[in-house]
Amino acid sequence: MLIRTPKDWELPESAVTPERDYALRPRPFSPRREFLRTLGAGAAGLAASSLLPRSLRATTAGFPTRVNLDYRDPALVPTAYDYITSYNNFYEFGTGKADPKPNANKGWKTEPWTVELTGLIRNKVKIDANDLVMKMGGAEQRVYRFRCVEAWSMVIPWDGFPLSKLIAFADPLPEAKYVTFTTFLDPKNAPGQRGSALDWPYLEGLRLDEANHDLAFMATGIYGKPIPNQNGAPLRLVVPWKYGFKYGKSIVKIDFVAREPRNTWKVMASHEYGFYANVNPTVDHPRWSQASERVIGAGGLLGQRQRTLMFNGYEKQVAGLYAGMDLRRFY
Amino acid sequence: MFAAALLRSKAFVWIVLVLPGLWPAWPLFVRQDPSALTDPLKFILLHYGFVACVLLATVLTFSPLRVLFPRWDIALALNRHRRLVGVSSFAYALLHFSVQVLYVYDGGFETLAKEIRKPFQLTGLAALLILLVLTITSVNALIRRMGARRWKNLHRLVYVAALLAAYHQADARKTFPLQVVWIFGPVLLLQIARVWKQRRGTPARAVPTPGA
Repeated sequence: MLIRTPKDWELPESAVTPERDYALRPRPFSPRREFLRTLGAGAAGLAASSLLPRSLRATTAGFPTRVNLDYRDPALVPTAYDYITSYNNFYEFGTGKADPKPNANKGWKTEPWTVELTGLIRNKVKIDANDLVMKMGGAEQRVYRFRCVEAWSMVIPWDGFPLSKLIAFADPLPEAKYVTFTTFLDPKNAPGQRGSALDWPYLEGLRLDEANHDLAFMATGIYGKPIPNQNGAPLRLVVPWKYGFKYGKSIVKIDFVAREPRNTWKVMASHEYGFYANVNPTVDHPRWSQASERVIGAGGLLGQRQRTLMFNGYEKQVAGLYAGMDLRRFY
Repeated sequence: MFAAALLRSKAFVWIVLVLPGLWPAWPLFVRQDPSALTDPLKFILLHYGFVACVLLATVLTFSPLRVLFPRWDIALALNRHRRLVGVSSFAYALLHFSVQVLYVYDGGFETLAKEIRKPFQLTGLAALLILLVLTITSVNALIRRMGARRWKNLHRLVYVAALLAAYHQADARKTFPLQVVWIFGPVLLLQIARVWKQRRGTPARAVPTPGA
């Protein structure tokens, strides 16, 4: 008799996600307000905006986006759109969480936007953000956990394209080992950059193999709508297994280099923030524990706290990148 | 003068001290401000800590103001409320600490125990404990029993509490703590001015009048 051994990728029928769960059900913004409607309004808005001349649109190329079901865990409840877009760390527009939303929408233009690919690559270009999205084959939507180094978390439906596509397009030379992401510098329109809270412009970097990982993403939208200015329009790095400060916002330059680049927070306080910034519940921040996190917009007035997962829940996918590394030293 | 008369009234000062405790209800329930609702407990936590620091700094300006402007009726009015304002600073610090316990609770107290050992939080806790001791010893009966000199010496710990609180508040930030400068900066200036005036004004006396 033939006894069939199921392969480890074969899932039982019971594990199949019910169809209704495919649809995004964000966490309600308040008990009285259901934010599903932001989705509907967004879709309608996009349909209308695609009729506008390009100069009047935000960076909208690739919308509406296709949902990539491989990157949608039905157990993840997306955070309400209003929370994602009103609670931001974007020091270019102020150090308070509520500052970026008003300050990034007072005349700072994110369209048109040019991004420069440079360094150790064959295809050095300066390219319009919309054109880049189209070159990448449009945009898709993925739902990722988001963990801030300040011990709070969200679940965000990002729209955009895999970073690996951009890297293939840039065509790196064999000497390229790291990628640097430079945020815009415009003190005239970014009040925070007129002060010296950080060393401007904001820099972030990844090892090339990290940047090439399936999960690394370049976001151009949230919830199927073009990414709002306060969230880092029009191009924002997304690396879900790392702390939020690695997600360089409003990127103007992507530079391929041979040596580990400086990253802003490491320059500011290297004992607190490292180059890797992998989410790790066992390595504390000098001032607080990383063992657990506040879930934004959950649990009513008292809120909710949950245990932080190794590599923010992406351990299976990314742990291999750091095999043999002392994560306590390379935090 | 009307302002001084108002400030002399205990009822008025009570209202002024209680109102900041109720303030979070406005953004959370009335305005339903998304940036406050993202994590209401954190909003309340930071707010109460802020109020505790402001009140601590405020009460430390009272006696220097009296020394520097001995005939200013507002300075005299304020000095009637030193105990009330000092104790309310403790009350807000205690609220802040209680909210922190709730905030960090993640099914166990391990995270709390780990965090409280870090300098950032240890300084806050130490300041709270000092304020607790000062509050307990602010009961009339105890003041009498301790005697003026011992009581005064003990209550000089409030300056240590202020230093600890300023460190704690500054360390809560990732960048330059401007807020801490404008909360505690004026206190520092007034205290320096007070000491300077007392030194200059009492050259003949062997022991300067302690103003604390």
